[in-house]
Amino acid sequence: MKGYRKYFGKKIIWFLITFVIAVILNFFLPRLMPADPVAAITGKMASGMTDASAVQEIYKRYEEEFGTNKPMWQQFLLFCKNAIRGDFGTSFSQYPRKVSDIIGSAIGWTIALQLPAIIVGWLLGNILGALAAYLRKGWDKVLMPVSLFMSNVPAFGMAVILLVVFGVNLKWFPIAGGYNFDMIPNLSWNFIKSVISHYQLPFWSIVLVSIGGQAVGMRSMSIYELNADYVKYARFLGIKDSKIVGYVFRNAMLPQITGLALSIGTMIGGALVAEIIFSYPGLGSTMYSAVTAADYPLISATTLIITVMVLLVTFLLDIVYGFIDPRVKAAQFD
Amino acid sequence: MGNVMLEVRDLKTKYVTRFHEDVYAVDGVSFAIEEGKSLGIAGESGCGKSTLALSMMGYYFPPLHYISGDIIIDGRNISGMKPDDVRKTILGSEIAYIPQAAMNALNPTQKIIRFMEDVIRAHDPKADKKEIRERAEARFAELGLPKEVLDKHAVELSGGMKQRTVIAVSTILNPKVLIADEPSSALDVTSQKMVIKMMRELMEKGYIKAMLFITHELPLLYNVTDDIMVMYAGQIVERGTAKEMVFDPMHPYSYGLMNSILVPEEGTRGNKLTAIPGTPPNLKRPPKGCRFAERCKYAKPECFYTAPPQKPFDDGRMYRCLMGLDQLKEVYSHE
Amino acid sequence: MKNTLRQLFHSGKFVAGFVIFVAILLTVFIYPLVNPGDPLEMIGVGTFARPGTYVSLYDAVRTDTQTLRLSEADDNRIAKALSAEDRVAMVEWFTTMGIDVSDLDIDDTDALLDLWNANYDPSIKPQGMTMAKRNYYKRLNNSLQEIRAADEIILAEPDEESGALVKSDTISKTDYVNVSQVANVKNLPLGTDNFGRDVLKELVSAAGTSIVIGLIAGTVATLIGLSLGLLSGYLGGFADDFIMFVTNVFTVIPSFVLLILISYSIGQEQRGAAVVAVVIGLTSWTWTCRSVRSQVISLRNRDHVNLSKLSGHSMIRIVLTDILPYIASYVVMAFILQVSTGILSEAQLSLLGLGPKTTETATLGLMMNWAMLYSAHTNGSWWAYFPVILTITLISFSLNLMNTGMDQVFNPTLRD
Repeated sequence: MKGYRKYFGKKIIWFLITFVIAVILNFFLPRLMPADPVAAITGKMASGMTDASAVQEIYKRYEEEFGTNKPMWQQFLLFCKNAIRGDFGTSFSQYPRKVSDIIGSAIGWTIALQLPAIIVGWLLGNILGALAAYLRKGWDKVLMPVSLFMSNVPAFGMAVILLVVFGVNLKWFPIAGGYNFDMIPNLSWNFIKSVISHYQLPFWSIVLVSIGGQAVGMRSMSIYELNADYVKYARFLGIKDSKIVGYVFRNAMLPQITGLALSIGTMIGGALVAEIIFSYPGLGSTMYSAVTAADYPLISATTLIITVMVLLVTFLLDIVYGFIDPRVKAAQFD
Repeated sequence: MGNVMLEVRDLKTKYVTRFHEDVYAVDGVSFAIEEGKSLGIAGESGCGKSTLALSMMGYYFPPLHYISGDIIIDGRNISGMKPDDVRKTILGSEIAYIPQAAMNALNPTQKIIRFMEDVIRAHDPKADKKEIRERAEARFAELGLPKEVLDKHAVELSGGMKQRTVIAVSTILNPKVLIADEPSSALDVTSQKMVIKMMRELMEKGYIKAMLFITHELPLLYNVTDDIMVMYAGQIVERGTAKEMVFDPMHPYSYGLMNSILVPEEGTRGNKLTAIPGTPPNLKRPPKGCRFAERCKYAKPECFYTAPPQKPFDDGRMYRCLMGLDQLKEVYSHE
Repeated sequence: MKNTLRQLFHSGKFVAGFVIFVAILLTVFIYPLVNPGDPLEMIGVGTFARPGTYVSLYDAVRTDTQTLRLSEADDNRIAKALSAEDRVAMVEWFTTMGIDVSDLDIDDTDALLDLWNANYDPSIKPQGMTMAKRNYYKRLNNSLQEIRAADEIILAEPDEESGALVKSDTISKTDYVNVSQVANVKNLPLGTDNFGRDVLKELVSAAGTSIVIGLIAGTVATLIGLSLGLLSGYLGGFADDFIMFVTNVFTVIPSFVLLILISYSIGQEQRGAAVVAVVIGLTSWTWTCRSVRSQVISLRNRDHVNLSKLSGHSMIRIVLTDILPYIASYVVMAFILQVSTGILSEAQLSLLGLGPKTTETATLGLMMNWAMLYSAHTNGSWWAYFPVILTITLISFSLNLMNTGMDQVFNPTLRD
């Protein structure tokens, strides 16, 4: 038990340090941008004003509100203090909306879209990869190149293709948004139906892209395991092949959990871009509009949230993996 | 003469490589083991001893293929049986195998007791979990293994413990014949001793009726088994009792082999150590005559085109050479 | 070395990948020689011209005509003039007239017209049909008759002095020109994009730029990853701990996020294609570093390395002669993967509006971004985005195939 605690302790400290570094990067990098967004927003507000001192006044007021008149390190401390309370400041581009407000309305969509899509893609990919490894010959000859090809279609490419085929041409599913644009979010059956039909295309585009990569990885893991000595030994003890295949896939699948943890950052990047293609009301689209409007409070908050989500998922997967794979348990916990 | 437990008659098997070439790794092997006896198989690496072990299981998967011959376990010929019947009624219960790399023989993510369940249920699907545990615990206690091992994963065990666990699992169904392929080669001396002791115990208690022990360490065989058989290039070149084989080898190859090792016995200290020059023949195209002819110091022209038969003696010894016993003795005396 | 290469070219996967990649590279080099000119020249006015061969109408009229009597010419004209809606409307008419249309093929213009001529009568007023609909049928009938009429088109030019139109030529239905004799024919196999640029020309040049971006990103990432991995693995101790710490931090923080943040902070003006490539390289070295480190650690205590150490060779010499050659294959494989991720990263950044800001060169990501901004995907202009997706996929597929092939050669357990 002491081993477990030490393992967790180490992991938690490690993730906290990573978190701090992520916060620092997320705060400072966007603020290094040469443009002056306060001037831009003042220009927008003060358009048509002729009185220079009034414009100056507005500029000062915004500078105060966004805190850009203070030195960078003070801004950072203020940012941290507010961030702990869940306050990420005010958005430049959607003034006077709060950043936390914008993100709050987007994050649910992203999580509801990406988490199931990545899990389904992972599962299907692993099953296909295992099949390819077990059946070999014909299946493998078809599945392998197809999976490899699929895994190389960029997420946005898959999104566009699905959108054009099933949205524009076949008109099976709507092509943009998270629900019908003339609806107000509520809990009615109609609204849920609309959400579900808007969900399909972004969901499957992420699933299809993640299947390929996982299948290729699972195939080579399974082939490696199928050649392991314990397979031969179990066969010579008279154990049925179907049972042995069970051992093999369990052993091959467990490391795939780490594979998922390591690739989740990359997968989310692709999936966020897929959101933009479908104008899905999630963090990807939020980030897109923030980037186009040079809205750095929104950019740093969005990237921070994404980083935190990836960190959390990676952390959870690490912990789960440590528990269910005795190979790691033996190596780490003693 | 006891009951014959395992008899192999003219067994031939081959490997098929990726490029569809045949490698005749076991080529006409015949021998028998009686109840209560143990037989050691020695030879250079690549001589086919491990392949012989795999071939004797009667259960083949690529790249190993069966060609011809009989494997008879306690009077039952298994070479003509369907693979699935062999799996259900022979493997594990009649004949058991301890693999060369026992370090990796256990599934790393499975508890030993779960694997024990799988082994027992492969032959008795209705076996009860509790009974299996009781049976396993009893056997572990008898063999001096801590029963906590049952609830551990293979990765949590030390090398020696893993090897002993593998032996205990392999013999849980009291197979008549146990085939051990280098069971102790990768272990330290203490663990090696424990493994040997355990196998002896299994024989003495009657859990296994006959044992085949494959190793490249001849001194070990001398201490462990009753008989020793020497293999060369897929064939048996000589068989005799351990003592005869070590102190009085007949075949030129055995003779060379015994002289190339040190046996920690009195009298061997002063002996000359010699290595056999040359390499074994390519088994994709086995030579027509005696397989050892090319490396044999005493080879005569006819050795290169006449394959010598397996010659049995009256006292159970046999060898494969064109020369007569007296001729060989005569030749060796000039050394 | 020679032997390794021979082995590689025995691997079907490697060869397939290699052939695709070399084919793309050759196209990038050769196509501009065959079809020279600025790939970003806006030859089209207006957006998204369909793929096809464009013949100058002005020149065609002035080219010598030949008379050809093609019996099916009228039918082709009618077939071209009848829209899908018109065909459906015609079938609707037949059904209101009570004619069995169950085995009528709607695309068979001949059969449709025969039935139409036999059954259409403008004086019939079917029950429940609106006036507008009846007028529509009349217009449709008239236009069909007009196409059949043998009228000539009269060309007239304004007289320079009086300004009055003077008949200069007539074009009859049997007049044809040989396309090869027309002065200005432009072949646009992939049409034009939203700016009126030749998509194929742009695509070839963009593929070239994107491969260069991938190569720069891959080189930067491999150099950083290789040197950190070598240091970390060879030195061990504190250096190892520190480098692994940094590597782990940058593995967990999504490189995509870093990429966005850095690209954003650089600002629009500085963000050329090369800068974007370097930034991509700077955020994607962690994989190489990890795998190089683990390889070096397994090599560190091999006999030949120890021998070298005992012989008093310098660290640089040991690394160069006793370690690098052994991990070369892994480094090449990692490099290949980095190139393909680099190309993909550029495309994703561009779609977020953070791609290279340049009007002098095209990249695959920018082409994709413009196609999306101008809704090519919803207005049916497939030629503006599909070839781009296909090119990205093929480049990355070929690189990954080569990588898999190499993996199978160097890791024999994976062999089939």
